[in-house]
Amino acid sequence: MEIRRFILKRLIEIFVIFFVILTVLFLLFRLAPGDPVTRMVDPTLTPEDAAHLIAQLGLDQPIWLQYIYYLKNFFTGNFGISFHYGVAVFSIILNRLPNTILLFSTSILLSAFAGVFWGKIASWHKGKKTDTWMTLGALICHTLFLPWLALIMIWIFGFNIGWFPLNGMISPEIWMDSSSGFWLKFLDVAHHMVLPLATLFLIHFGSYLLLMRSSMLDTLKEDYILTARAKGLAEKVIRNQHAAPNAALPVVTSVGISLAFSLSGGALTETVFSWPGIGRELVFAVSNSDYPLAQASFLLIATVVLISNLVVDVLYAYLDPRIKY
Amino acid sequence: MVERLLEGWSIYKENLIGKIGLTLLVIFALMALCSFFPPMIDPMYHPMTGVDPQISHATSPSWRHWLGTDFIGRDILCQLLAGARIAFMVGISAAFMSILLGTVIGMIAGYSGKVVDTILMRLADMIMVMPTLLVVLILSSLFGQLNIWTIVLLIALFRWPGVSRVIRAQTLSLKERPFIEAAKVAGASHFRIIFRHIMPNVLPLSLLYMTFRVTSAIIIEAALAFLGFGDPSTVSWGMMLQWVWKTGHMFQAPYWLLPPGICISLLTLAFYMMGRAMEEVLDPRLRKEVAQE
Repeated sequence: MEIRRFILKRLIEIFVIFFVILTVLFLLFRLAPGDPVTRMVDPTLTPEDAAHLIAQLGLDQPIWLQYIYYLKNFFTGNFGISFHYGVAVFSIILNRLPNTILLFSTSILLSAFAGVFWGKIASWHKGKKTDTWMTLGALICHTLFLPWLALIMIWIFGFNIGWFPLNGMISPEIWMDSSSGFWLKFLDVAHHMVLPLATLFLIHFGSYLLLMRSSMLDTLKEDYILTARAKGLAEKVIRNQHAAPNAALPVVTSVGISLAFSLSGGALTETVFSWPGIGRELVFAVSNSDYPLAQASFLLIATVVLISNLVVDVLYAYLDPRIKY
Repeated sequence: MVERLLEGWSIYKENLIGKIGLTLLVIFALMALCSFFPPMIDPMYHPMTGVDPQISHATSPSWRHWLGTDFIGRDILCQLLAGARIAFMVGISAAFMSILLGTVIGMIAGYSGKVVDTILMRLADMIMVMPTLLVVLILSSLFGQLNIWTIVLLIALFRWPGVSRVIRAQTLSLKERPFIEAAKVAGASHFRIIFRHIMPNVLPLSLLYMTFRVTSAIIIEAALAFLGFGDPSTVSWGMMLQWVWKTGHMFQAPYWLLPPGICISLLTLAFYMMGRAMEEVLDPRLRKEVAQE
């Protein structure tokens, strides 16, 4: 019961935050220097089409009415027409979203598990050489400049050794060929995903390792660990079954908090690897002054952050029964 | 005060990570200082406008250009030195502003409680979930090319919430202490209590957060420049990477691709390491762990 109330409370909070973001974005797009009409309506459209779009977006109305139109359009999924692609922004975004989610969730999950695993080991060898080297390595991974790492990955593994494709997500010749089955396509995407995945993995892995290490060191000082020792349990059992599950909790929270940060990194990775995701679309839209697309991509990214934060909160409540809301 | 600093220093210098960080930082500071000299020697060594008259394409390292030249014949080493100066400027000023904001807002929220606290902290939550880099991207698309100080200001405006949360928590526990009670009884104003009695106690913590904020400010500016939204009148490391990437030299010119990335990574590493070492100085709990070894 408690947890249901908590989720409801968080949902309301998230809704309010989202509403504020929507409003701020609306004001920014209307108040920025320049004409909002030229910003939302493709200059290359025919006058009739332009007039139709202006009426649809409510750009000929007073500003408060424009706001109502804006909200209505948002909730009905009408974000306008992309200048560059010439099709509805909504369909572009819907098309790109799964690619981002695929790359992103895989990298976060992999790095979180690896970070927890190696962080546990580092804390267990605290003060020894293993720990020093692992901490140092994790620190370096954590502070590597992401786009540069991505370029180096492409340069070494894509260009010099040639194991992986330089960019993109699929090889057209495989996907155009109607005889290629599911597994061939699957392998093709996996092959393209290795380098971007490795880049994101390295960046996140370091921070999760450091976090798990310090959290584990805290946990090991708890009384129940002493009790476990007094019971004569094997060290391995204490480490893996008594300490690690509790110590991993802050890692879960950190996944949520660092999400906004990771999404920026995701946009950079997608851009460098030409991975057809939402972050690359945003960067692309901003570079090409494709305002409808930029606005919608940003809103979508904000939505993803907010929803994932909720998921993390719920997960946390589920994982740690000691938490009372 | 001096004694406390000296004591802190004696703990700090025992820390390996802290020592590595400080060494790196000194090296980069020297680089930033050296950036003033090459343009004086010869105008062709100017990082932005200096073009070697004999070279019109990217060349590998030589005696004339120790790290080679970029695609129009500008010296890469000079750009690298100038980049160090920009990185320090951006990192430190953005971090300073964001911790200033964060500390003041955190203290006010913690000290006043109730409605003010709720409003400020909800605002912090809201800003915290925004990916700073993408927000700045959107703003630069709306307002056109941002200059370096606008970028610094924007980074500061979006990076205070983390600091303010920590400072607020600290203030909450501080305001229950007897010395605040005493100050109140003595008739000190709220303003005075916050800035004379609470602030000195949270300042070390703010300083610690500043090192981490320097790291994130440098990364955000570099990423922005890398994507092509930096200040076109400055030579930053991110800008250099953008040039090598956009002009298609990344496979042909490792001498150009490697240095800027290594510098960004090492400078952020230096600040991050110093932050971790300072954490140990400030948090006796962490310090004891070390002492037990």
